[in-house]
Order: sequence, then C-alpha cells, then structure tokens
Amino acid sequence: MSDTPHTAPRGRIDWADPALSERLRLRKRRQFWLKALGLGAVGVAALMLFVLIASLVVTGYQAFRQTHATIEVNIDPFQVDPANIRGGNFDDIIETAILAYFPDVEAPGEQREIVRILSDGAEFQLRDRVLDNPELIGERVSITVPLSDPYDLLNKGLIDRTTPEENRRLKDDQIARFDTLAEAGIISQPLNTALITNADSRFPELAGLKGALVGSFYALATCFLLAFPVGIGAAIYLEEFAPKNRLSDLIEININNLAAVPSVVFGLLALAVFIGWFGLPRSAPFVGGMTLALMTLPTIIIATRAALKAVPGSIREAALGVGASRQQVVFQHVLPLAMPGILTGTIIGLAQALGETAPLLLIGMNAFITSAPETPFDSATALPTQIFIWADSPERGFVSRTSAAILVLLTFLVTMNALAIFLRSRFERRW
Amino acid sequence: MNDMRMTERARLMQDIKISARDVNVYYGATRAINDVSIDIRDKTVTAFIGPSGCGKSTFLRCFNRMNDTIESARVTGTIELDGRDIHAPDLDPVQLRARVGMVFQKPNPFPKSIYDNVAYGPKIHGLAASKADLDDIVERALRRAALWDESKDRLTASGTSLSGGQQQRLCIARAIATEPEVLLMDEPASALDPIATAQIEELIDELKENYCVVIVTHSMQQAARVSQRTAFFHLGDLVEYGDTGQIFTNPKNERTESYITGRIG
Repeated sequence: MSDTPHTAPRGRIDWADPALSERLRLRKRRQFWLKALGLGAVGVAALMLFVLIASLVVTGYQAFRQTHATIEVNIDPFQVDPANIRGGNFDDIIETAILAYFPDVEAPGEQREIVRILSDGAEFQLRDRVLDNPELIGERVSITVPLSDPYDLLNKGLIDRTTPEENRRLKDDQIARFDTLAEAGIISQPLNTALITNADSRFPELAGLKGALVGSFYALATCFLLAFPVGIGAAIYLEEFAPKNRLSDLIEININNLAAVPSVVFGLLALAVFIGWFGLPRSAPFVGGMTLALMTLPTIIIATRAALKAVPGSIREAALGVGASRQQVVFQHVLPLAMPGILTGTIIGLAQALGETAPLLLIGMNAFITSAPETPFDSATALPTQIFIWADSPERGFVSRTSAAILVLLTFLVTMNALAIFLRSRFERRW
Repeated sequence: MNDMRMTERARLMQDIKISARDVNVYYGATRAINDVSIDIRDKTVTAFIGPSGCGKSTFLRCFNRMNDTIESARVTGTIELDGRDIHAPDLDPVQLRARVGMVFQKPNPFPKSIYDNVAYGPKIHGLAASKADLDDIVERALRRAALWDESKDRLTASGTSLSGGQQQRLCIARAIATEPEVLLMDEPASALDPIATAQIEELIDELKENYCVVIVTHSMQQAARVSQRTAFFHLGDLVEYGDTGQIFTNPKNERTESYITGRIG
C-alpha cells in the first residue's frame, strides 16, 4: 500500500457491474415514484377544486333565475292619490289583479292564500314604478313581479310534487292554484337581476347582494387607501433607510408575526379600539376597512420589502455613482422597478381581505340591513358576511342564494388574482 | 534631455488631482486597507493592480465616497481632491459623485432609454438650462463614449437592449455627462469580450486627455496597455507605485516582482 502513491488512479470502473446497474435501476424507480406522488397530489388538489366549484354551481345556478308572474293591474285613481302616491293602496291593486285569474274564489281565507303566491315585494315594485311615472295613474299596465319563495321553488322543481302531501311544503290546492296561473301563461323565469340590484331582504325572492357589494367595495377602498401608502412607507423605511440593529430586527420579527395573527384577533382589537374607544359606528364599512387594513398591512409590508430587495444592487450603485441622493435612488429607480411586485402583493393582500369574515362579524357587519349604504359610514354588510347571514337563514330559497353569493365572491377573487398575475407578467423585468 | 525631464516632472508634480494620506478602510472589525498614501495625477490613467481581495476596488471607492453607502464600512485618513478634503462636512457626497464619476465592473445601465440614461445625471444636478441644452449634453457624452454613431437613431431604445460592450460605453457616457474631473473605473472590461475590451481601452486612452482616470484591473496586460502610472496593492497595502513602464519592467519591490511574474496572485 505504502509504495503506491496516492495520486495514481484506482483503476478502471466496471460500469457493467450488476451491482451498479441495480443501483441505477433503484434510482430510476425512486424518481418514478416521486413523480407519481407529485402528480397524485396535483390530481387530488384539482379534484377538490372541481368538487367545490361543481357543488356551488349545482346548488347556486337556480338562484340566478327567479320565477315571475306578469299580471295586468288597473291603477285606480281612487286607490292612488297622485298627491300622495306613497300612501296608495297598492296591495289592493295587486290583490284585485291576481284574484282576476280565480273568478270563482269567494272565501277570504282562500283569497289570502292566492295573494301569497306573489312576493310581498310586488306592491312595492308597483309603487316604485308609479313613483317614477305618475302619469300611469288611471292606466292599465302589465307588471312582472316575483313569486314568493315556495312557488319559486315549485317552479324550479325543488319541491317534489310526488312527495306525500303531509310532508310537502305546498299542499295540493296550493299547487293547483299555481298550475292555474301557469296555464294562464303568466309565469316566466327571467334572469334574477334582483340578486345584484337589491339589498338584503327577509324574503329570499327579494334578497340581493347590492348592500354587500357596496359594503365590500367601501371596506376594500378604505383598506387600500390606508394599508397601501402606510405599508409601502414602512417597507421603504425598513428596507432602504433603517439602520440594521436590534430594534429594526425586533420590528421585522413583529411584522412577520403579525402576518400570522388570526384575523379574529384583529376583529377583537378593532371592536375594542375603533368602536369601544373612538366610538366609531358599528357595522360601518369604513371601520371594516380599517380592520382589514390592520390585517393587510403586514402582507403589503412583506411583499414590498421582498420586491425592493429584488431590485439588483447594481442599479442602486449606478444611481449613487452619478450623484443621486438616497431619496432619488429609491423614488426614481428602485420603487418603479419594484412596483409590479408591490402591486402583486397588494392585490393578493386585498383579495385576502375581501374574503375575510371573522373580523367583520366582530364589528357587526353581519347586521340585517335592507338598503345599500350611501356612504362608508352607513351600516352595511360585506360579501363574506352576507354569505354567513344567508347560510344561517331558515328559508329554503337562501340555500341556492348562498351558493350564488359564494360564486360571486369567488368571481371577484379570481379576477383580482388574475389581475395580479397579469401585472406581474406584464411589467416584470429580468436582469 | 535631462532638462526636459526635469520640467516634465515639475509639471506633473503640480498636477496632483487626488492626494490620499494614511487611508484605512475597515469593514466592521476587519481592516481592508492599511495606511495607504498616494498622489494621483491629473490627465493621466492610473491603474490599480493586485490579486483578488487586495483592496484595490475598496480603495477606489473611497475617492467618490461610495463606501459611505456600505453600512459596516469606515474610512479614516484624509483624501483631498484638488487640495480639498472630500470628507469635509460642507462637501456633500452627492455633489462629489457628480465630480468624481464611476464606471462599474458589470455594465449597469438603468432600465430606461439610452437618452434618459445619459441625461439622468445632468438632470438631477440641474446642469442643463433647456431641452436643447440637455440634447447637446447627451450628444457630447455619447460622442466622447464612442457610442453616438451606433445609438443616434435609437436614443429612445432601452439601455438594456444594447450589447454588453455598448452598455459599458453607455455607462461611461452616463458618468461623463456630468463633466466630472475624475473618472473611476472598477474593472470596466472584465465582463466584456476581447473586441469590446479593445474599444473600451481605446476610449480610456482618449478620455485621459480631459480627465484624471483611475482604473482597477485584474489584467496586467490591460494595465500595461492603458495606464501611465501603476499602483500595486497586496493584502490591503500599497506595495509599489510608479510609472507603468518601471513597475512592469523594473519593479523595486520583491512582492511586485512576484506578482508581475505570476508567482503570487
């Protein structure tokens, strides 16, 4: 051994050695399994997503249509005083119009049953129409009004006519009356625009998402206006100007931890501070936006710092080298280059905020409010809290509406994420 | 002959542009430059050579106070530009860097148009009176950087769309657009191919007519080709400083000779 120098080759390797080829085979097999497992994981994820979307669509698609009846109403000047339209007897007008299809019915109880086929909102719809066009008084007009929830379900096939009568929501005579109207050809099932144009209601056929959409918009706008400048400011200071010492390390750790704090905690904080101490109104989208801003702030700070860090040092050196001040380096070179990354992070943060429910529940944004907010300080709901309210409601019509609202929320989230991806790919620079 | 050399020397003695005395640079507790004193002549190319990590780039960055931007770095000693201390409290590093331009190892044009790259320095220092004036500054700088003919038809194209050699000439144009007195070059050709390198070297030779050029280089051939004065650094010390011809043919110091002949480095 001692006579062979350590620099000499150890001899030719026999690559045909079965032990070596066995090893190679084993390596290939492991790689195959790794790929198979990865593919399986992707498959499971895709399947879950498909099941989620499919179940929402299956239960939710019915809510995008609403059964309506088109009836001829006689707007009698004796019932509606042109000087006081709001005080008009619109319920009587509707009642007369619908009872016209049942000339034989005399009993008041049965008449009441017939009127209940139409939604309680019918008279208000008529009133609003007359308020807009007072010249309709004295005219005979046809108006399309929604049917009440049980008849809507019946028309959509969600109430099974073969179920024994005692277990059925609608009895035989109620179904018979509906069929009379259907034979008269006045039943239609148009697109349910009320889902977007109406605010919340006790009656599923009248309930819509307008209040929630406007509430969410105000809350997100407030959140963006607060979190975006503050987040970018904090990130720029921490990344570009702050001395690297214990204090800045501590701040950094705290910001990272803040991003992991459960959202319900931010809700409690907002309840105690914004509403408890500062006496801001409950249920207001402005307060909701402030709460969401607390949550979004760490996300934006972290994303902005990462984007600033990703700008190569050579650009900073180049700018410093021609005599740019630190402030000029940051605002004229680094920030514009980091902007796509910052915007991506911000949009993802806002998308997260849009779907956040718990903190909004705590500040009372799950109140029952039947009109859309006029200002960010009016009471309102938000999309996720509206879903929460509807999911909690006993009326069966809300089942499909809950799914429909989830689909609306998901549409917004997907749109926002797509925008983030678009911005990233459109403006991203490679060095 | 002898008389001429004497007058020549006297002229050069008066033309000291940068004068450094007992300069030390520390990175945290590490000392990167040890008591370096050097006088750098105006309208001359001075080359800093030495093995990797010898501190030549660090020392170069003292002249425009770029080391200020590194948090852990600390510079002691005095450096005078035209007899004025560059660390004087009334001298702003931002203005100093306009007077002492710098070209970096890797071409680093801003991801903006060629025009904006060159115009940036004059703009931030308010050197152009009008748009026409700025156009003139940009054209002059690009001409002196030998880039005008290639770029005059596409001044709005991105600086990053140029080739490596063109990018480096753009960086030189950007550096000279503020009419600096000194041009610092930190291995300006090390990321370039031989043809681009030759162009840059030719350019450096022309630039010395108007500027005091200090160039850090790894390549001894490059130092021999472009410089009139050479300083050899080793382990943070200025080992030898003299006329380039003398350093390469007749080094006085043993360490210099070892490096020149390839025994250390």
